[in-house]
Order: sequence, then C-alpha cells, then structure tokens
Amino acid sequence: MPDQPGIDGYAVHLPAYALHDNRLDGSGPPRPGGPVRGVAAFDEDTVTMAVEAMRHLTADDPAGRQLLLATTSAPYEAKTSAGVVHAALGLDPAVGAVDLRGHRCGATALDLVACTGAAAVLADLRTTRPGAPDELAQGDGAAAFVGGGTSAATLLARAGHTTEILERWRLPGDRHDRVWDERFTADVLVTAGLAAARRAFTLAGLDAVDEVVVSSSNARAAAALRRTLGGSGADAKVERATGFTGAAHPGLLLAAALDEAQPGRTILLLSATEGADAFVWRVGDGVRAARGGASVRQQLAARQAVGYGRYLRWRGLLDVQGPARPASPAPASPPMFRRSGWKFRLEGSRCDACAKVTTPPAKVCASCGTAATGQTPATVPLRDKTARVVSVTRDHLTTMPEPEVAVVVADVDGGGRLSTYATDVAPGDVAVGMAMTPTFRRLWTTDSIPNYFWKLRPRKEATDGQ
Amino acid sequence: MASRRMAHDVAIVAMGCTPFRDHWHRSADDLLVDAVHECVGSLSGVTLDGIDAFWVGTQGSGMSGQTLARPLRLVGKPVTRVENYCATGSESLRNAAFAVASGAYDMVMATGVEKLKDSAYSGLAAVYPPADGTDVDWTAPAGFSLLAPAYQQAYGVGARDMRDALTRVATKNHANGALNERAQFRKAVSAETVENAPRIAGQLGVLDCSGVSDGAAAAILVRAEDAYRYTDKPVFLRGMGFVAGSGAGLATDGYDFTTFPEVVRAARQAYDQAGVTDPATQISLAEVHDCFTPTEVVLMEDLGFSERGKAWRDILDGRYDLGGALPVNTDGGLKSFGHPIGATGLRMMFECFTQLRGAAGARQVPDARLALAQNLGGQPGSCVAFVAVLGSQR
Repeated sequence: MPDQPGIDGYAVHLPAYALHDNRLDGSGPPRPGGPVRGVAAFDEDTVTMAVEAMRHLTADDPAGRQLLLATTSAPYEAKTSAGVVHAALGLDPAVGAVDLRGHRCGATALDLVACTGAAAVLADLRTTRPGAPDELAQGDGAAAFVGGGTSAATLLARAGHTTEILERWRLPGDRHDRVWDERFTADVLVTAGLAAARRAFTLAGLDAVDEVVVSSSNARAAAALRRTLGGSGADAKVERATGFTGAAHPGLLLAAALDEAQPGRTILLLSATEGADAFVWRVGDGVRAARGGASVRQQLAARQAVGYGRYLRWRGLLDVQGPARPASPAPASPPMFRRSGWKFRLEGSRCDACAKVTTPPAKVCASCGTAATGQTPATVPLRDKTARVVSVTRDHLTTMPEPEVAVVVADVDGGGRLSTYATDVAPGDVAVGMAMTPTFRRLWTTDSIPNYFWKLRPRKEATDGQ
Repeated sequence: MASRRMAHDVAIVAMGCTPFRDHWHRSADDLLVDAVHECVGSLSGVTLDGIDAFWVGTQGSGMSGQTLARPLRLVGKPVTRVENYCATGSESLRNAAFAVASGAYDMVMATGVEKLKDSAYSGLAAVYPPADGTDVDWTAPAGFSLLAPAYQQAYGVGARDMRDALTRVATKNHANGALNERAQFRKAVSAETVENAPRIAGQLGVLDCSGVSDGAAAAILVRAEDAYRYTDKPVFLRGMGFVAGSGAGLATDGYDFTTFPEVVRAARQAYDQAGVTDPATQISLAEVHDCFTPTEVVLMEDLGFSERGKAWRDILDGRYDLGGALPVNTDGGLKSFGHPIGATGLRMMFECFTQLRGAAGARQVPDARLALAQNLGGQPGSCVAFVAVLGSQR
C-alpha cells in the first residue's frame, strides 16, 4: 500500500484516425462542429492500444504488483487479455495481470491504482451499428496510470454509489451495445453522480474544486452533471473530439485535465456509469514530468481523417471482396511461448563475438556465424529504437481490410533488421530512408487467435516522448 | 570449401515435359505419368523397369516417394521426394545426378511436378509449419518487388529506364514463349499491355509476374561414359552449384536487395567445375528464374553476363533477346510458361537439353554448345539457388 493514495504517472494513446462523417451517401460537406470519434486502425484493438499507452510509463515494477486492464471490449473471452499487455511490456512475472470488465471498471481501476499502487491501463474500442444515433459519439482510446506515488495527483477522497440499472449491455457474442432510453437512465445516473460527488466532497473536506471532470456513458447525464457541478466544459470538448471511450473514458478525461492542470489545483473526477464513482484529486508538483508520451491535445491535433467506408471495412461492418488468397496463418501456442521475447518484446540477439544483432533472436549469429556461448544468446530490446527503411513495397493482394499495405525492410539504429508492415501511414508515403518507430499491433485474426506483433509507423519528432 | 566435379561425369539421355497449363482435367498423377512416359518413350530399349532409382520434386502436390511410385505403379524401386522451394525441380535432378555419379546406380530418373490451379488461389499457396506468427505474410511479388527500387537507387537508374527494362524482360520472354507449344501463354504481349496491367506489388503489375500453372517434367541420367549407348545426342552436366542461403539478408543489417548472393556463389561453383571463365561470352544460352521481371535484371549481373549496374542497359540493347548475343529464357521462361514449383527447374533443363541437341525449332540458338540453367526459391535476402552448366560435349 502506498503511504498516500495517488497517481505517479500517466499516459494516453489516441489512435491516429478520426471519423467526422457517418453518412453513407456522403453528399455535401459534414455537419460543421459535429461530434468526432477517434478510430482505432484496423490493426489496433484494446490490447494494442493498452500497450501503446502503457509503454510510455515506467511500470516494470508497480508497487501494487498488479497490471490491470479495464475494458468493455477485450479481444478474448475467457482468456486474460492483460497477459498480452504484460508480455509486450516485458513486466516481471511476479507482477500480476488481470482484466476488469464492464462500463464501470475504468473508475474501479483508477481507484486501485491510487489506493494499492497498481498499474492500470484503461482501453476500449467502441462500435455501434452503422447509423446508430450515437455512432460518432463513441470512440476508441486508452489511458494508462501507475500508482505508488503522488507525482501526478494525490487522491484526497473517493466515494462510490452503486445502482443496478440496465443502461448499456451486450451478450457474449454480440458486436454492439444495446442502449436503453437515455432520458430514463440519465435521471438515475445524475442522482447517483450527485450523491457520490457530494460524499466525496464531504470526505475531502471541500466545498468546491478547481476543475470538474465528468465521464458518463450517458451524454445527457454528463451534460446535466457538468452543469450542476459547475464544470468548465473542457472535458466535454475533449469528449466531442474523441467520443465516449467506454471504460477508458474517465482515465482519458482525467489525463486531459492533468495535461493542463497546475500543481496544487483540485479536480473532481466523476464517472457516472452503472451508478457513480467520484474522486477528488490534488494535482501533484511533479505533474508535468509524470506524463509519458504526447499530451491529449497533441495527439488530437496529429490525427488524420478516415472516411466512413474505410471505417466500416476496418470494423468488419462492410463485407467486401478480398483477394483470392488463403487467410493469413494463425500462430501456434508453443512457438509463441518460446519466442515471446521476440514476438511480444521485439528483442533481437546480440552476438558475443561481433556484436551484430540478429532478428529474430537465434543461437547462431546471422552476421558472423558464431554460436552463442550460453544456453541463450544475449538479447537486445528494439521496440524503442528508430528503424530506417531499406526497401519498401506495396502489397496489393493483402488479406488485411485495405486495398494495399506497405511492407518494409528496415534497419534498426544500433543494429538489427525488421521486415514488417508499415502502419498509420499511406503506403505510397513510405520512402527509403524514412525513420520509423515500432508499434504493437494485431496483424490478423485467424482461427480465433488474434496475432499480435510489431509494425512500424513513421517517427514523429518531439511529440512521441521517445 | 570443396565443391568439385563428381567422381563420374553425368549425362542426360532423355527428357520429357508436359505442356504447362491450367490442367483442369489432369491430376498431378496424370501429369507425372505423361512426363515420365514421354521421357522413357524417347529411348528405344529402355523401360521403367530398367531405371534403378527415382527422385520426385514437389513442394505441395504430394508427400513421400509415393508421389511418383503410386501413379506409375513402380514395384520395388527407391523413390525419394525432395523439396527446396522453387528450386525443387533442380534439386530433384541434382540428387539424381549424385546417385549415378557415385556409382550406386547406372540409370536414374529425376522428376518434378506441381498442381497449383486446383487451389483457386492467386499466386502460390504453401503450407508452413506452426510458427509464432511474426513473419510478414507477403506475397512472392511483394518480396521480389523490393529489388527494383533498391537497384535503381544503387545504380542511379531512372524510373523510366527501369520500367523499360522490366517491360523488355516481359515482352521478350512472352515473345519467346509464343514460339513454344508447351508454354502456358502463347501470345506475344506489347509493352503497353505489360505496363497497363493491374498492380500486384510495388511497381510490379500482373505481367511482371510469372504465371501460375500445372505441369511436370522428367529426365533420365546415366554416367557420361554410358551415354552414347542410349542416344547419339546426350547432354552433359558440366558443372552444378547449389546454395541454401543463411537468411542473413533478412536477419541482420547490410544486405541491399541488389543481388542474390546465393546465386553468385552457386554460379561460381558451377563455372569452376565447367571451366567457364567468361560466362558472358562462353555461355550460348541461359534459362534463368524470371519469377518476376526485376529478378531477371539482377540475375544477368549475378551470373556474370552483365557488369554490375549495367544489366538494364544490356537488356534494352537486346543482348538477351532470342537473336541477341546471349539469348535468355529462349523457351519463354517462367513468364510465359507459368511456374509449377516442382517442375520448373526440370523445365529449364528441358529447354537446355532441347537447344543443345539442336531441336528447338524456331527458337533454336545457332551453334548452341553450353547452356546455363539457373533456378531459385525463397526471396531476396533469404533464398536457395541452383546453377548448372550443360554442354553438348563432355
């Protein structure tokens, strides 16, 4: 248990794409000022977004010895998805990995971060039926937090209010949430939210806070709570650019507030979902240094627009004809296990004799042919290095939900070669010599096995935090 | 490294080759039977019973030696199945050659077969062992298309010049194939058709790629000293090199995608054994692995036919045309024959065999004495490569 409950570090991953318009016929310009949703690329899911958020934080030994993944859209049923995140982060095996599920679990994860010193990543991928009223109001993203200290914020008080209510739900196997009439559920959530907020204020010994941040699965409830509690609306502005990101949302909005907050200021974070959870924070002196990676504002500014048809293809909501090729092969469990250092952590082997790097790691150096002296060769992590494109091609027969993908061979600064896919970039824009950064993605899913590995995306100067 | 001529010289005394086609009405078994019967039938007094041992090359159309023994109903014969990616047919011949060279057998047969069209897939399909899922699932054209931009960059070749050279490879090989009744595509194609074809990978369009076809081929090998007992026109295996690459080109930095180091080494072995000191002038014709147009460009340099960085120019100058100084892929190559993996290496041998015997008709290279067959599999940076020199004289 930490001496004082709080957050020591935080980071956000917002996908590189945004959807502004969901009209199928596409006639005329999109509605100006309308909601925009963040869109995870076809090769992203809850796990990959969680890794991208979490890898910006130093989390190799969270004080709480737990890694929590909070989501409503885990890629697996039954299997623990946090285990994949744990593997990709290269955490110590003594650190536990657990999934938290349901719309309320993002708030629960924050609670556990602050109170137990755990590391948590809140990540979600939201889809609705095409054309649903709130299609542009849902979105994808991830926010990561590490407890055990108070550099980012101290938790002054917390209060929960449980209400069993059928608001947003989905049976196993269903693709989208069903939603009850939001006018009814808003009533219930506002009541729960105000009750939780008032108790938290009392426990904190405060009458008011400097900043109010409201996250709710019900937009009507969020608006009412912001109004009643005197929020500035900065949180609503972020939400209008990202959509409601499910279990990630309280974390995302808290992170956006911490990005801007001055040390010493107080923040009420109210999550009104299936009841309510209220947290009163005091912003820490180390808040600026506590952030890993780019700020929410920077990431929003760096996004590129995605068309509605492309979004539908990416989500499998539009069944289009692919090439006459067999599905990409499913990975097998034993080789994945044996080669987890390569597959999940992107480690090459470094030769004892010539110091050259071999990828994937191998007992015998690909450069000089010397066999490693030990049982396994020395490994070298490549995932945070820059790789430069040696040659590139555009595969027009890809089985991925895109007309073409760029395949690159790239040399890693300091040694090592990667043959992999480029992502978050138009294939024609990848050029020989381009500097790229590894990013954890899902290559494909065959035989119900999501196949995760590292791709390369163009390196962004300065905003990467790398 | 020892790579020397074999204890006995080896000769090919008969060959067979099916047309390479969409063989919708023939199985791999049928194709093997056809190729083998053509081969054996060309020698009077020889029957399958007289052949001591057999090799069959196939990547995915059968398992074990029974791939050949069953359709031919061979009784009591040793049959070995071999596989080495797209060099599988060559591997079949290489191992069969070793068997007679060693003295273990007097007469052996190398065969190769592939039935690709039954899968209904675009391009090649193969089954690989269970893996960790980290390999790029790239198509063959994607892998080989990495050659063109790298070559251009290394030698300062402009986009138009490179495109012209690639197009010339395609039009040349299709023109040659139009003269060959066994080729899959028997129509010459225009430069415009090549360049307007739908893109497949990088700057490669459909007509920069070899076709997908079904086929089989076979050869009978004996010790050279016995060859004239069977035919008055044997073809002699003068040199042979084979390299399975270490994969270093993709596993560590340094390789630049402008060459196939495995081909360079295999060629050196074959040339040394054959006494070839200047391949550019001594080789009469060459069958090379034109799986994709940039492959043929790079191979002209790896085989020592063109200076480094100059193959594109030699191609445009017509040096490798049927009437050029060194005709390449006189039978149409993979471009117009298609590429049934297990059969391709032997199909190349078939053309060399035919040319060296002066039996190539309209495609005949005058006074052909030394022919080269080069076959590779895998992809740039990680491939297997075979090179053989064949001669009309021992």
